[in-house]
Amino acid sequence: MTLEEAKRYLLRRAKELGLEAEVLFQEERELSLRARQGTLEEIKEARQGGVGLRVVVQGRMGYAYTEELSLEALEWALSEARDNALLAGKEGHISTGQALGSHDLLGEGLSAPLDTKKQSALELERALWEDPRSKSVLMGGYMEKEVRVALASTRGAEGAYRTGLAGMGGSLVMADGPSLKQGWDFKLAKEFHLLDPGRTALEIREKTARLLNARPLPTGRYRAYLEPKAMAGLLLVLSRSLSGKSALEGKSRLLNRLGERIASEWVTLVDDPTLEKGLLSRPFDAEGTPARRTVVVEKGVFKTFLHNSETAKALGQENTGHAFRTYRGVMDVAPTNLYLEPVGNLSLEKGVLVTEFMGLHAGANPVSLDFSLQALGLWVEEGEVRYAVENFAVAGNLLDLLQAIEAVGGELDWEVMGAAFGSPMVAVAELSFAGV
Amino acid sequence: MLSPDLVESLLRQALKGGADFAEIYAERSRRRRMTVRAGRMEEAISGLDYGAGLRLFFGTEVVYAYTNQLTPEGLLEALETLLRAKGGLGQVDERGAGGLDFRKALPRGLHAPSTPYGEKDKRYRLERLLEAEAGARISPEIKQVEASLQEWEQEVLIANTEGTWAEEKRVRTRLFVLAVAQEGTEVQTGYAAPGKSVGLELFDLYPPQEVGARAARQALTNLRAKPAPAGTMPVVVGNAFGGVIFHEALGHLLETTSVAKKASVLADKLGEEVASPVVTYVDDGTLPHAWGSTEVDDEGRPTERTVLIEKGVLKAYMVDRLGHLLTGYPMTGSGRRQDYTFAPTSRMRNTFIAPGDKEVEDLIASVEFGLYAKELGGGQVKPGSGEYNFAVQEGYIIRHGRIEEPVRGAMLVGKGPETIRRVVAVAKDWENAPGMCGSLSGMVPVEVGQPHVLVSEIVVGGRA
Repeated sequence: MTLEEAKRYLLRRAKELGLEAEVLFQEERELSLRARQGTLEEIKEARQGGVGLRVVVQGRMGYAYTEELSLEALEWALSEARDNALLAGKEGHISTGQALGSHDLLGEGLSAPLDTKKQSALELERALWEDPRSKSVLMGGYMEKEVRVALASTRGAEGAYRTGLAGMGGSLVMADGPSLKQGWDFKLAKEFHLLDPGRTALEIREKTARLLNARPLPTGRYRAYLEPKAMAGLLLVLSRSLSGKSALEGKSRLLNRLGERIASEWVTLVDDPTLEKGLLSRPFDAEGTPARRTVVVEKGVFKTFLHNSETAKALGQENTGHAFRTYRGVMDVAPTNLYLEPVGNLSLEKGVLVTEFMGLHAGANPVSLDFSLQALGLWVEEGEVRYAVENFAVAGNLLDLLQAIEAVGGELDWEVMGAAFGSPMVAVAELSFAGV
Repeated sequence: MLSPDLVESLLRQALKGGADFAEIYAERSRRRRMTVRAGRMEEAISGLDYGAGLRLFFGTEVVYAYTNQLTPEGLLEALETLLRAKGGLGQVDERGAGGLDFRKALPRGLHAPSTPYGEKDKRYRLERLLEAEAGARISPEIKQVEASLQEWEQEVLIANTEGTWAEEKRVRTRLFVLAVAQEGTEVQTGYAAPGKSVGLELFDLYPPQEVGARAARQALTNLRAKPAPAGTMPVVVGNAFGGVIFHEALGHLLETTSVAKKASVLADKLGEEVASPVVTYVDDGTLPHAWGSTEVDDEGRPTERTVLIEKGVLKAYMVDRLGHLLTGYPMTGSGRRQDYTFAPTSRMRNTFIAPGDKEVEDLIASVEFGLYAKELGGGQVKPGSGEYNFAVQEGYIIRHGRIEEPVRGAMLVGKGPETIRRVVAVAKDWENAPGMCGSLSGMVPVEVGQPHVLVSEIVVGGRA
């Protein structure tokens, strides 16, 4: 059965069974080309898809999904979703929907011939070796993903869109005498031709080489400059607390703090799913709410959580259209393109420039917002990089850090970690560093 | 899932297309997740994953495709896509002409559940989750509790052009409890999550109330804990999940994924002393019902017990098929993948430091001032430089040989090969614990483990 046939079948059967139902389809095409020592060590080409189902029975919600599209599997999904709903103790509803149209956010972005993409992957890997200090290249290559999403419900929602991303990047180990550093980066774009393998490789080499011959950092409190990659990681942790769902579940420290100053005046945080070249832009969310720009923090003042219809209703706020679901998951809330607005008042003086945080998933607690993270960095003095520093950790609380931001750079850089997180460089008055 | 005729015809066509080796991995998995919060079922989801991955080797070049269309047409299309991507479509290689003689390895049920899926209904599961939630309500400071159950029943078929035909049904069950403690504006969390390759007998092995209480006690400990001190000091690392430090700092460095590319600081060191002589380090995929155990790996080879380091000396690496082709080291049944969307690579299974001869009390007593890292969270490593980090989920100060006040927010950082040389004592109380490990071939279930271990110095990241 095709996805289209599965959709019609599920909606028809749901009506026959007296259920309200919403069906989410996703179909993905993936291409990845991994180069090693001048040949393509792995070529991956694949398709994957499935249907996710939410049904409401007696005012309660249940979920199921299937990747197998046989009649038997669809019937199994319907009955599992219904059983799960009957077990649920919480009320739920499917919003009244509307015709949302069919959108193409990808266009010809990935249309280059396969051979051109192969050449780019090989070129990037070759260019990673173009430094006598390159000791081994773990991986260099190209990947692209094209996604088609469609939504339909018994309550009138109907819409579809197609989007996608292309990316190039790699990972290498560089050595200078006994000093070893492993670096990586991955650049993403909406279109293949916006990627530049030579330049990406050069950036990865430069970003890795500058960390060689690092010295230990004495334990102490220093001014910190966070590069966009490091700050984007912290925004990812913060985004869990910005979720209306976390707030409802008692897992956000920002609950009851709307209208309060939670960050310095230099901090304006925006989520914008409508950005024209936004890496994760989309025309509507997983419930069919049309996308719009949301200012989450304005000059330090907390304006709104990110919401889906359920969390907005429960907290008595406006729905921001941030319902998030994959066909394999339950309804959640998630940002799309969340970024810290550039200011342009930052200049380097003295302190530690943090290039990257490691171990975010373990060392940063999304509930308490405490963090203690291994970091890589450079010592700067009189506006200049003096030497690299290593073997240290940075600790604090994210809300304190946001309050201590005293300058924000002028140029946005993006990282995709589930959602797209954008940030310029940020200067933090003081952070606690643990070293020797 | 797939008929031998269909599998044989696809594999032969892959050989005709010029491949030296071809493999099919097909999977049908049922997953369930239920979450209880505030005394009621909040969310329940059931799912069916269904797909196949086709992998072809041309020398050491690999092409991989996956699809959810497990019909002859769907699989053939995936194969043709691969041959087109490789540039070999339309080629005829005579090696594909002969028949394949599959040696069928019947599943032995080594890790089969004693309480299978269908035996208990969903209400039984809900009741156990409510018990876990109630078990966590041990104090008014516990403001939120979330208990969830994850069940995963995965059927796999792996066949290849060398005649391998392996089938296995893998059942895994895990209970998660998260407790949030709050006093004033201070918020801290505690966590417990036992899991095994078993069915619902998990609840008998780990009574839900006790699991809930364990999470809650940890949240309360953290609520009254002071920020950890910062600096370099001796650390006693707790048993069971404490083993995650060496999973990161040592285990990942011994996978051929990085060893074959000389991208591990432990490449080319077989026979050398790479760790303190008190350290024996084992990766064992055969432990009965362990979270990371399987009968066959995801390349269809029987899993093994692999002694990686014996008394400090490097004895073996973890080797998958590609790693074997690149290095010549014998395969160790270590090819693993998250699911059909990933090609396998060499991965850990259940990896632990073997028990030593010391008492835990002696380890603590020998520390004048240091950290007792009782429970650890997760961590990360860069194999090329050996730099690792991991978070302490529950920690205490050791002063004059005694465990004293709790501290929070400690992050241990260092370089793996240095840390493993600084292990000065290993206790007797060996235990393993489950976790999920992310790498090139996705997230796979693993166990980590060890007895209590004393490391002479580690950088502890706390508040300066």
